Amino acid sequence: MTIRNVRDHGQRYRPRMECLKKVEAVMLEMQDPKTGVKSQPQRLVITTIPHVITGEDIVTWLANRYSIEKEEACSLGTMLVAFGYIYPIQDHKRLVIKPDASLYRFQTPYFWPAQQWPVEDTDYAIYLAKRNIRKKGMLEMHEQEQYNSLHKWMNHKWDFIVMQAKEQYRAGKERKKPDRVVFDCQERAYWVVHRPPPGTISAMDYGLERMVDPNTEEKQTSDYFRRIIIFTQQSIMRPRVKSSVSIGALVKYSITYYKHDPFLTPCLPSNSWVTDDVTFWMLNMTNVETPTKMRVERWTFSFGELLSDPRGRADFRLFLKKEFSGENLAFWEACEDLKWGTAATMNEKAQQIYKTFLARGAPRWINIDGKTMEVTVKSLKHPHRYVLDAAQTHIFMLMKKDSYGRYLKSPVFKDTQKRAIDPNPHRFSVTQLEANARKRRPSLSPIIVRQQEEEERARMATSGPVDITQLCRFTAPVPHLAVYSGPLSSPPFPICLPHTPACPSPISVTIDSTPSDRRWEDGGGAGEREAVDQEGRGMAVSSRSRVALSLGRLLRRGCNPSTVFASLSPKCPAPAGTSSRVQPISTDQTIQAPPRSIANFFQIKVDIPPECRIYPIDSEDEEESGGASKGIGGEGETEGQVKEIICPWECLTPHQGAG
Amino acid sequence: MNRWQKSVDEIQTRKRQVKECERALESLSKVIACFQQMATSVGSNLDGSFLREEMDKTRAFAHRICTGLHKKLVPLLTREMEHGPEEREQVERLWVLFLTGLEQLQQDLYKFSELIDRFPLRGRNDHHSLVKTGSSGGVSGVIALAAAIQTSWLAVEGEQSPDLKMHITQIDSLIKEMLQKVSIPFWTVEATQEAWAEAAQSSDAVQDQDESLEDMMEVDVVSQDAKMSGCCHPTNCKLGCMLCLFT
Repeated sequence: MTIRNVRDHGQRYRPRMECLKKVEAVMLEMQDPKTGVKSQPQRLVITTIPHVITGEDIVTWLANRYSIEKEEACSLGTMLVAFGYIYPIQDHKRLVIKPDASLYRFQTPYFWPAQQWPVEDTDYAIYLAKRNIRKKGMLEMHEQEQYNSLHKWMNHKWDFIVMQAKEQYRAGKERKKPDRVVFDCQERAYWVVHRPPPGTISAMDYGLERMVDPNTEEKQTSDYFRRIIIFTQQSIMRPRVKSSVSIGALVKYSITYYKHDPFLTPCLPSNSWVTDDVTFWMLNMTNVETPTKMRVERWTFSFGELLSDPRGRADFRLFLKKEFSGENLAFWEACEDLKWGTAATMNEKAQQIYKTFLARGAPRWINIDGKTMEVTVKSLKHPHRYVLDAAQTHIFMLMKKDSYGRYLKSPVFKDTQKRAIDPNPHRFSVTQLEANARKRRPSLSPIIVRQQEEEERARMATSGPVDITQLCRFTAPVPHLAVYSGPLSSPPFPICLPHTPACPSPISVTIDSTPSDRRWEDGGGAGEREAVDQEGRGMAVSSRSRVALSLGRLLRRGCNPSTVFASLSPKCPAPAGTSSRVQPISTDQTIQAPPRSIANFFQIKVDIPPECRIYPIDSEDEEESGGASKGIGGEGETEGQVKEIICPWECLTPHQGAG
Repeated sequence: MNRWQKSVDEIQTRKRQVKECERALESLSKVIACFQQMATSVGSNLDGSFLREEMDKTRAFAHRICTGLHKKLVPLLTREMEHGPEEREQVERLWVLFLTGLEQLQQDLYKFSELIDRFPLRGRNDHHSLVKTGSSGGVSGVIALAAAIQTSWLAVEGEQSPDLKMHITQIDSLIKEMLQKVSIPFWTVEATQEAWAEAAQSSDAVQDQDESLEDMMEVDVVSQDAKMSGCCHPTNCKLGCMLCLFT
């Protein structure tokens, strides 16, 4: 007995098989003694078998009946053969119509392809067993393989299969010789169509199975008419384009992509689906070192092509890195991540993106126009998947108009182009093709592939910043933040920072890339620290102790250290949302002035070693002398500045629990 | 003594019953094969009312065998205590094979019913649309074969054979009922035959016939000139066939 799929309620309607009904109508027309296809008897040595037809006759009949050209009739005829309604007598493995004197015969309706049920493996097993009996074990390669695998899977009913094969064989022998020949040809043709030998292309490749029979006539209820009405109403409302324009676009597309379409131009070295040789796939893997020439050519077609190919994107990233404008691409990737990521992480991601790219004084501030920025920030109050769409489009167009052109002329691209490989086409003989088919192996499991991708991402995240814009010599991220916890007992800081796979690497890089915020002064002496005053130019504190002191001050100002630093940690998004604040762009906060000092302040980057920290340290309070009150008092105005980066929508939402 | 005698009798009865079931299964297999062979002619130029009547008869026959076998097999399985493990295995195997046979029959009946709907054979025009498949002989040999199937073990059944559609639904319900009644994990059943064994078993007498059959199928290659005839070399001349291929 067969293992029945529990969910299969007999609903196996295969959508591409809809045409079968029409094909059958054609077949029946062909049978008409007066107007159908002329058939002749085929003379064999000892007998004559009637009803054989030539390819030429079929093609001519089709051309006349449907008033079509010969080529179209040929392809229609090939379709009939590929479906199994007509089978070739010579060269039975190639399911095509040859419009010459090659012989064909009609298939008996029992062996016609049926839409309602797929072809059962049990039947195939019986057929193979029968063939085995007849040919005494001399089956073809692929048949042998199938036999062995079926024997393994159908072991429980194998006895019945063999019994049935013998009985069918015996029953077949009861017929007259010419009929036996015909029947054997029919059966063989049936199985060539439904279990094609390697190298045969049959039409039985259909897509997913549907629940509803597409061939049934739909009942014309009011629902049906309502749908038609809605459809036509919407069609009227659709915007229109001149056909010359749309056709022009189609033509242009076809011309551009002609050589890249595997159906129209053979793949180099060979189409893996056809020859079972995986070189083509290996050469075009995601993170291959040298891409193929065709792939590189595709990148020149449009910016979208470049970005959608991961290897192209990597190349572009490299180019942008050299040009120090990697934040655009990073922002774009972050937006993509937001759009396609899980809903649970969306809020945090949106916040991270805002803090990293959009906020005033963000580390990787991108340059979008004021209106878009306004709209985006406003809608970030209620973040959803597409909240950054406008900004992303803007950045996309920016990159496309500006960087893309330069990329195509850059030495990076030219180098890649030069090194791209152009493989020679394979020429496999039939035996080699069979050998290839035997050597087929499954590829890496998707679990492993995903693990590799995550490792890759982790490596990229820790490998350092993409942008090298700082004067500061410390550009490597410092992973350990426990240093900054200070003396206060605070909720334990996660020392081992989990790398969130959801967050792409761009966010994890917190290196300031905005020139305007460059306030680093390299390890200045103590004297320079005087410069810090209410205007608050940032100072580099060169000693760890000073940082500790200033930190102490910070702590006493009431900032919860762990949250401050945690919030600024790129790798710890969870507590980030709790109390990190960027000064909102809305005018709620009056403390906008002096903007520069604040801007400097917001460059807190935890990953940079302490020497580069800028803290709004009052010049007077350099030396920690317990001037806590002084610190607090003096900093009255900068009290607000000491606030963490606020995401504007945070004003409206209550504190989330500490991460 | 009495008990021992009874148990021996019982064992013998059981063995007999199992043997009968096996033979019944073989007959079922034969009938299914004959039915299938006849079904391949439906819709072709051999189709006709005669063929369909014969098919109905065969179908009724199959129905009788099925019900008979079902009646015999179920009690064998439901009486669990008295079987030795080997016998149990055998009966389970028969059960699984019976179910497979039923499914095969059901499938053929589905196809048959579809074909009948498509080729109704009512008027003259319908006869014109029968597919010219090249068959010329009839299926009388097959019919004779079907008739020759022995059913001595089958008690005379007075049942009416059902209508085609009814038959299909009946088999369906029969299968379902069988699956529910006795739960046998069918993956525990193993084949008694080795793979590729059936090739070695075929007798030599038919070898010549089969070879020529293969030749006829292969030799259908026509030479490239416009002749329609097949190869004109004598039979069994393989060399000749090769030459024919190359002309």
